[in-house]
Amino acid sequence: MDEFQEILQDFLVESFELVEKLDEDLVELETHPDDLELLNGIFRVAHTVKGASSFLNFDTLTHLTHHMEDVLNKARHGELTITPDVMDVILESIDLMKALLEKIRDTSSDDGIDVSACVARLDKISNGDLSGLADAVAAQEAKEENSTVVEEDIEEPEPEEELDYENMDPDDVEAEIERLLAQRQAEDKAKREAKIAAGEEVPSMPPEPSEEEAKKEKKEEKTEAKKAPAPTPAPSKQAKSQKSSSDEAKAAAPAKRAPATVEQTIRVDVKRLDHLMNLIGELVLAKNRLIKINDDVEERYEGEEFLEELNQVVSIVSLVTTDLQIAVMKTRMLPIGKVFNKFPRMIRDLSRELNKKIDLVISGEDTELDKSIVEEIGDPLVHIIRNSCDHGIETPEERLAKGKPETGTIALKAYNEGNQIVIQIDDDGKGLDPEMLKEKSLQKGIITEKEAESMSDREAYTLIFKPGFSTAAAVTSVSGRGVGMDVVKTNIEKLNGIIDIDSEVNVGTSIKLKIPLTLAIIQALLVGVQEEHYAIPLASVLETVRISKDEIYTVEGRSVMRLRDDILSLVHISDIFEVERILDASEHVYVVVLGLGTSKLGLIVDSLVGQEEIVIKSLGDYLKGIEGIAGATIRGDGGVTLIVDVVALMNMAKDVKATALTESNAGESASSEKTKPSDYVIMVVDDSKTDRTIMRKSLEPMGVTIVEANDGQEALNILKSGEYNFDAMLIDIEMPRMDGYTLATEIKKYNRYKNMPLIAVTSRTSKADRMRGVESGMVEYITKPYSADYLASVVQRNVNFKPEFM
Amino acid sequence: MSDKLKEIISKQEQQQESVVEQLDDVVQLVGFVIGDEEYAVPILSIQEIIKPFPWTRVPQVPKYVLGVFNLRGSVIPLIDLRTKFGLPTKKQNDETRFIVIRDGDDVAGFVIDRLTMAIRIKKENIGPPPDTVNGENTTIDGVGKQADRIITILKVNKLLERDF
Repeated sequence: MDEFQEILQDFLVESFELVEKLDEDLVELETHPDDLELLNGIFRVAHTVKGASSFLNFDTLTHLTHHMEDVLNKARHGELTITPDVMDVILESIDLMKALLEKIRDTSSDDGIDVSACVARLDKISNGDLSGLADAVAAQEAKEENSTVVEEDIEEPEPEEELDYENMDPDDVEAEIERLLAQRQAEDKAKREAKIAAGEEVPSMPPEPSEEEAKKEKKEEKTEAKKAPAPTPAPSKQAKSQKSSSDEAKAAAPAKRAPATVEQTIRVDVKRLDHLMNLIGELVLAKNRLIKINDDVEERYEGEEFLEELNQVVSIVSLVTTDLQIAVMKTRMLPIGKVFNKFPRMIRDLSRELNKKIDLVISGEDTELDKSIVEEIGDPLVHIIRNSCDHGIETPEERLAKGKPETGTIALKAYNEGNQIVIQIDDDGKGLDPEMLKEKSLQKGIITEKEAESMSDREAYTLIFKPGFSTAAAVTSVSGRGVGMDVVKTNIEKLNGIIDIDSEVNVGTSIKLKIPLTLAIIQALLVGVQEEHYAIPLASVLETVRISKDEIYTVEGRSVMRLRDDILSLVHISDIFEVERILDASEHVYVVVLGLGTSKLGLIVDSLVGQEEIVIKSLGDYLKGIEGIAGATIRGDGGVTLIVDVVALMNMAKDVKATALTESNAGESASSEKTKPSDYVIMVVDDSKTDRTIMRKSLEPMGVTIVEANDGQEALNILKSGEYNFDAMLIDIEMPRMDGYTLATEIKKYNRYKNMPLIAVTSRTSKADRMRGVESGMVEYITKPYSADYLASVVQRNVNFKPEFM
Repeated sequence: MSDKLKEIISKQEQQQESVVEQLDDVVQLVGFVIGDEEYAVPILSIQEIIKPFPWTRVPQVPKYVLGVFNLRGSVIPLIDLRTKFGLPTKKQNDETRFIVIRDGDDVAGFVIDRLTMAIRIKKENIGPPPDTVNGENTTIDGVGKQADRIITILKVNKLLERDF
């Protein structure tokens, strides 16, 4: 049973490949009906599928392909001309064949699809043009014909071989023929077995016919031999040529008329590639980490000899990792031609249905894309092309009236642009009329009058992607239901892609889809907000700008800014991700301009950290589906950074009111009512234990609570922990790790501590030191040595010590 | 000499017997403290116990989900059991640990105040959860009675279930 499944699997894979190619060939055939090469190719597909399906007992499929074969065979022999009407039936039968194959794939059985109507039509065609020839005869013919065709492949080198029989003794010839026959039969058998093992069956060469053939061959050889008896043959050479020819035939048969050069490929389970990709992801993370460590080490051991070596190793590892990543990515790449293939057929059907004349020009079908993207891109393209055919290209009469050629052209193009793939769909139809689009949207209530007025042409084009929008006056079977283009937008956004539309009335429309190469490892822009970092997929970032807060305006409760000629709506990342504003924002902010599909949004962040290659990791089941977060990545320092889901973020931004950038919470942190001296909390920061003790002794009489810190870093950590609500700090200037000035500067960054008095206690007495103290935000400057009373009084003054506690 | 040997052999036999006994009706748990209470989870559900390290906050989640952290390349959610059990937050100290618990494919780290010990407890000493907690929704699997104390045994699958 397993063996059967295996064969079935191979049969399906092969059949789908064949059928895919078939669509293209058939349309080509219609334009060149006399192309025998093409016809033969198509005939063989039907034949191969028929053979294999009969072997696998798929009777319905066999029945259908059998009749297709009849018609095609006649066409091949010139007994039937391929007219568009005939083509319609053939195409219909191919669709049915596809449906059957899909059914087999899903259910392992081909029951439940009715092919009788189509078969009847096929019969009619094959009978109509052919007088009196019965179906069965035609079938017989087809079978025989085919077997000879296949034989021909094998026999190709034969003439050369036959030369060797010249002047052979009749008896020798007889013996030689016997030997050859046996050899040939053995080879046939081996070949058949090999094919079965490979999931292939070519019943066109069942044992009987091939034997018959062989007999025929024998006869021929006999006559030839009699004509010209020959001396010694060259068996070794002969055997070799036999073998190579059969090899060739083996390779050629499944790939129809494949060229002699066989591509060196193996089929690999996608799961294995995915696994490989995951491993590479881990490696990329490790590489990022290594680079970071290398930087740290470089800083610490500057000038040491081993650094050079380490540097070399790190750069080699990072180089190889990048190459490896690209190599593995490439194994997952498929040419986009796989998707493009179905469009010639689609255009053909559509133009017949719509009574228009349309040419499809495809270029760049070799452009490669990640498999997962290739799978996703098909549907959007179908919708766009349908749309172009239905709404874009005019009827031949209209076109002639406009002075355009009767036949419209749709150009489908794919090419690389940096780290992206661009798929461009151009048509030379009537183009999009922005005024008409606005009017339609107004009627349907998609936009308001006010919005319509302020809308640029480019924005108006994007209206076609709004759900519920349709410019077609009537719903046709092709389009007009207003679903299609909406699907395009969602699908492209899902792939982190961008849609660009350009159009000119009566000249045409050009739609560009820009899609990242791969999904698992992406380039990201890392941004900082307060103390957090977020990664934004670089594909969605159009640009970044630094602006001052004055440039942010509020319109109808929403923040906006002027970006060159456009008005860009803004949203603060901390409003979306509920970031607590601990640090005081500076006068300037950065705006990351996000572009998605056709919409834009400015995301306000505190800082730009840089660009990095990141590996997307899922947040797992427990945290999945958090709005605005697409996943997480692990950074060089081992920390986790969340990846922004730009699609969701843009949706969330709609509900966010104007950011309260200027709002300050200073008032809230006002110290709560003091009821006893110990409610006052003072921090003493000094690296000398003696100095701390002196300060403690000076302040203790007041009864206040005293917290000690060894240096600036420790002091900052205590502040951050929020365990105490400090009323003042006494800070020494000279300290290890972080000195007093730096500490003061850091503290002033926090909204909460903006108004906390910082008192410098130091032995530095120069004026310059005092100045620096003031600059960094110190309010008092006490020089050592000092009297205990003086220190106490300064502190009392600064914390508004209540007189009743004294 | 032979007496000693016999003694050793009999001792070993006894040990083996006790091992068999353990396998039969003894549950192995790891005990930890949150607030004033002692809790425990089955030892086999624990992937590892680690010292606290930095995590990344995740927006739009309940307060008890602190965020996510990196455990050797996996991104794992971190849940504060104090907050989850309605206790006031406490600063992490030297005794704070992250317990990484796994149930099938679900993994999460839980912040606990401190570890106590690995506990072997006989099944007969484990009682059902008190009646006051309502049936299906409780995270309490049972109550283990030790000589001097009572341990609340938590349901691992409930802990790892997303409830928001």
